[in-house]
Amino acid sequence: MSESTFMGVERDRIDWSPRIDFSKCNDCMDCVKFCPHQVFEVDENAKPKLKVKNPNNCVVFCRACAKTCGPDAITFPDKTETTKMIKAIRKAEKAAEKEAEANE
Amino acid sequence: MSESICVLPCNGLDKCAGDLSRRVALELAQSAEVALICPVLLNQNRSRYEKALAAGDLTVIDGCNTRCASKLAGDLELAIKDKVNVSEVAKTLDIKLGVDIQENDDTRAVVQAVLAKVNSSAADQAESEFIEPEAVEYNSFSHGKFIFKVPQSNYFFNENDCWVTVSGNMARVGVSDYVQQNLSDILYVDPPEIGDEFEQFDDLGSIESSKAVFEIISPVSGTVVAVNSSLNDAPEQVNESPYEKGWLVEVKLRDFSEDQDLLHDCPAYFEFLQRKVAEIDV
Repeated sequence: MSESTFMGVERDRIDWSPRIDFSKCNDCMDCVKFCPHQVFEVDENAKPKLKVKNPNNCVVFCRACAKTCGPDAITFPDKTETTKMIKAIRKAEKAAEKEAEANE
Repeated sequence: MSESICVLPCNGLDKCAGDLSRRVALELAQSAEVALICPVLLNQNRSRYEKALAAGDLTVIDGCNTRCASKLAGDLELAIKDKVNVSEVAKTLDIKLGVDIQENDDTRAVVQAVLAKVNSSAADQAESEFIEPEAVEYNSFSHGKFIFKVPQSNYFFNENDCWVTVSGNMARVGVSDYVQQNLSDILYVDPPEIGDEFEQFDDLGSIESSKAVFEIISPVSGTVVAVNSSLNDAPEQVNESPYEKGWLVEVKLRDFSEDQDLLHDCPAYFEFLQRKVAEIDV
């Protein structure tokens, strides 16, 4: 999964993953059961038991776990900002490619 | 039995949202057409409601996003005709429900809004302006016992496996063959509201099987013009014909050339999907 991308942009350059508000979380673990991508991890011995273990496994723009959350404890980054950032990275990369070609 | 609608409410009697589900269900049950279903008894002894369920369409009232009532219907493989979520409705009214049971203006307003939503489920929509393509040709590849189909042209995809196909400034949105096979039998389609404006990558409702809920992540920006109402009675069309009869939402496009920057054409999605399927099974 290390080389995973979203629309050609390396996944680890895109900041998209669930944020948990532990003042609302009730440890029901519905999000863990729901997410098929192993984004979350449960550690029975830790203080909040729930952890966002693999943020880059999270499908960019998917917010489905937040919808399964009864107490509404999960939020995501701003989608419009994220879209803008992805477009900017793609543009910069295309420009860099062109420049490299021109220099050959 | 003259009842034509069965109402299955949330049973969260210890919380505000559950209490409101109960109040909505009791209001609805005033009508002679409505049969109430107790979720606890249904779970314990389904045969008790077999007759009512056979005679009527099922409306589910969820209290919160734990969606116990929906999940119960899913587990029992009951087809859901209409569905409403009390907490979601409260959110649209900017009302915070909290945990404690309350009888006040706010909770009365939520009950009224939920009732209005249940009664208006057959929303008016304009005649479709979308011109359907004559015949869609497909490419396919197999992986294990699965065969995945992707149209050969005229469809565009985001990497969230949702497609758009365009005619003029109108378009239709749906999910790819991969999504429907992943979910298996689709029991319910939760459409967006007609008139809703949305951005690219906003959600456009969801589809649900007994396995999971899948959020429709919009490949384009625009306005909801129509929803595929034939899916109310036959959600399995999304399984049978994900790219044609199983379309989900018809939209008026805002800026498709801008949206296209973050979309794949058919050959590119075909390649993307091949890689994705290969990776998941490893």
